[in-house]
Amino acid sequence: MQFIIVGIGGQGILFTSKVLGHIALKKGQKIVGSEVHGMSQRGGSVISHYKIGDYRAPLVLKGQADILLAFDQMEAFRNFDFLREGGQAIVNVHEARSFENDSLKTYLSEREIIVHKIKGYDILKKHMNGNFLFLNVLILGAMCGAGLGNVTIDEVKEAITELAPARFRDANLKVVDLGYEALIKA
Amino acid sequence: MSKKAILMGNEAIARGVVEAGCEVASAYPGTPSSEILPAIAKYSDELETNTQVEWGANEKVAYEIALGATFAGKRSCAVMKQVGLDVAADPFMTSANFELNGGFLVIVSDDPGCHASQTDQDCRYFAMYARIPCFDPSDAREAREMVFDAYDVSEKYKVVTMLRPTTRVDHCRQDVELGEVRKLDNPAHFERKPYAGMIHFPARLDRESIPMRNTRYSKIQEDFETAFPKYNYEVPAKGKASLGVIAAGICFSTVMDSLKSLDREDISVLKIGTPVPLPLKMVEDFIARHDKVIVFEETYPVIEMQISDRNSIMGRWNGHVPMERELTIDVIRTYLLKALGEDEASSDSIEKLQQAQKELGLFVRPPRLCPGCGHRPSYSSIRKAYPNAIVCSDIGCYSLSKQQNAIDTIISMGASITVASGMYLAHKADGIGTDRPIFATLGDSTFYHNGMTGLTTAVYNRHAFVLGIMDNSITAMTGGQDHPGTGSKMRKDEEGVIVPLEDAVKGCGVKYVKVVEAYELKNNVQVVKEAWEYAKSDEEPAVIIFRHPCLTKLKVKQEQHLVKVDQDKCVGCRYCIDFFNCPGLAFDEEKKKAYIDERFCISCGVCVEICPVGAIVPVKEDDE
Repeated sequence: MQFIIVGIGGQGILFTSKVLGHIALKKGQKIVGSEVHGMSQRGGSVISHYKIGDYRAPLVLKGQADILLAFDQMEAFRNFDFLREGGQAIVNVHEARSFENDSLKTYLSEREIIVHKIKGYDILKKHMNGNFLFLNVLILGAMCGAGLGNVTIDEVKEAITELAPARFRDANLKVVDLGYEALIKA
Repeated sequence: MSKKAILMGNEAIARGVVEAGCEVASAYPGTPSSEILPAIAKYSDELETNTQVEWGANEKVAYEIALGATFAGKRSCAVMKQVGLDVAADPFMTSANFELNGGFLVIVSDDPGCHASQTDQDCRYFAMYARIPCFDPSDAREAREMVFDAYDVSEKYKVVTMLRPTTRVDHCRQDVELGEVRKLDNPAHFERKPYAGMIHFPARLDRESIPMRNTRYSKIQEDFETAFPKYNYEVPAKGKASLGVIAAGICFSTVMDSLKSLDREDISVLKIGTPVPLPLKMVEDFIARHDKVIVFEETYPVIEMQISDRNSIMGRWNGHVPMERELTIDVIRTYLLKALGEDEASSDSIEKLQQAQKELGLFVRPPRLCPGCGHRPSYSSIRKAYPNAIVCSDIGCYSLSKQQNAIDTIISMGASITVASGMYLAHKADGIGTDRPIFATLGDSTFYHNGMTGLTTAVYNRHAFVLGIMDNSITAMTGGQDHPGTGSKMRKDEEGVIVPLEDAVKGCGVKYVKVVEAYELKNNVQVVKEAWEYAKSDEEPAVIIFRHPCLTKLKVKQEQHLVKVDQDKCVGCRYCIDFFNCPGLAFDEEKKKAYIDERFCISCGVCVEICPVGAIVPVKEDDE
């Protein structure tokens, strides 16, 4: 299973791959991935690669990713070419009109890519007083809701509880549910 | 059963350092190496060793501290990024001529692709230059393992030994086995040896040290032919190989996954983990057994260069491997196929995606200062005061002020000050005086790193410019490490002493020092003008310390000032976008108006001062 996680520096992407790795390790799986640190963390495009299984290199080859988690729709458009045929994406959407673009629609349908959209900013504004730092756990919940990544919501919750500071525990778990519900109904 | 954890490459290296019994570790942060030293402290605490772990003010300092500990017989290490070794080159080159008492490891991270660096240099060349051995890990697991062997090599040959990870090893995450600490019975001891020991006089160097170093290097080269079958080995093809690949460091992992994606078993791979000195016989035997051989290594052709007959290999020398850019998995796969004389299956759909990206106005999103960062208004105050000023900048977060068109030069740590001196002298040489304002700007950590020598030189020689110290009271760009100005040490329970910035500046001989709150833009424009007038008239550097804590390290939430862009007043001049460049400010290309992007705005309220027509206004409570 190969993941690509994209967004903008400061959105807390590293934590997402940390959770995925934590779960995989518990299952005795082999993990290798690559993160972005330093300058790129400052508001620029950020990409994290994650491979579970018999791999050695930290980077995912274009056209081979099973799952794309995009914290920002523009970063999704930039990185859709990482997905394999039949790959799936969770995308945080702030402006839905772009998805009506014909070239994009053709690309996605030719490659049989399924895109699960979640209005992350709206959900966090409504339920979390606009604290957008919860985007990472929201996306993880959404991933479980969409049935992707071979992880259950309970595994995600357990991992978050073990990894995140205790004072954010309740809020984190609430947001995981919000993400889960947003996509399970769809 | 052995214990495993998912570690970042840097943590795996740190784990190895502590397990190997290192007792003194020193570093200056620099991406991609920054996480190594804090992880050494963490594992030292967890494994209950008494390892001394400290930040040095710069890499030369860190190197010499670790070296001193080695002179006293301890296992020690110095950690830095590649340009850090440039700073530490002096003690590095000299210490390579010594016979050391304890094991000494210099861990240097290279950054292929220049993700966070000003050069693409390959420090394995440095190892060759100094004639010391170098280990080149292919992943996090191997990096940890190599630390043990590097220490053993260092002690066996009494030689400085280098571990040279690259960004993708430093920042990979991988499941890594955890071990226990090797207990060394190794109390600090330094024996006085007059006319010998750790003193080098030229005559003795020529007669003894340099011949010793050269003989030692030849011996290591001979031994390395067979010493490390676990790092240097062949993954043979099934049947006759249609291609041989020599791959070192991370490139080995990448080649293996590329072959997997291509489903190829007709290619044999020679893995190299000790590129300096290269196990040459092994390599030349491999080359002799294959019709075609391609070499993948980062970032320079260090292995390639050591091969005596390059005619039979495909590499950088004949354009079969690109000379620049990171060798990512996509690049390696492409060049593997080229070497095989095969074509990549092309797909039409990718053109559709590229078309969509164009139509959707996908723009490059370069890194920029955080919303609310104090550096942004500091630079704005300089540019508002003197749009025409020459602003020499430096290495640190504030280099991102390039995005607000605020700075003109960046060279190396501390060079803002010295380059400003040069700019001043160039104008002075013309006899036209100093009518064009000259500024140097650097951060607090960079000032302690390498700013003081330049500043004393400028005071001594009467160089007229204004030095703005962008003081966010932390080493921010690399993730928030402490330095002499914060006084906090690596371990929070160890108490350090603050070296106050103002005192350090005054100690350099500067008479004009002003400390301002970086957010007070309007006031600071006046301070900037006053400082330049002083520098010009008194012919000496004037210093302004622009202070605001780094927002990523803020302990308490700062005051909020909600703002909006008055759509009637906004004239669409883009000044706020092009010259303030905050992620919280966006531009609507259809309406030709700026607006607040509430996804990123943190309501610092500073941008109210920036708009030339006053269109950015505070939100009053009854507005909503």
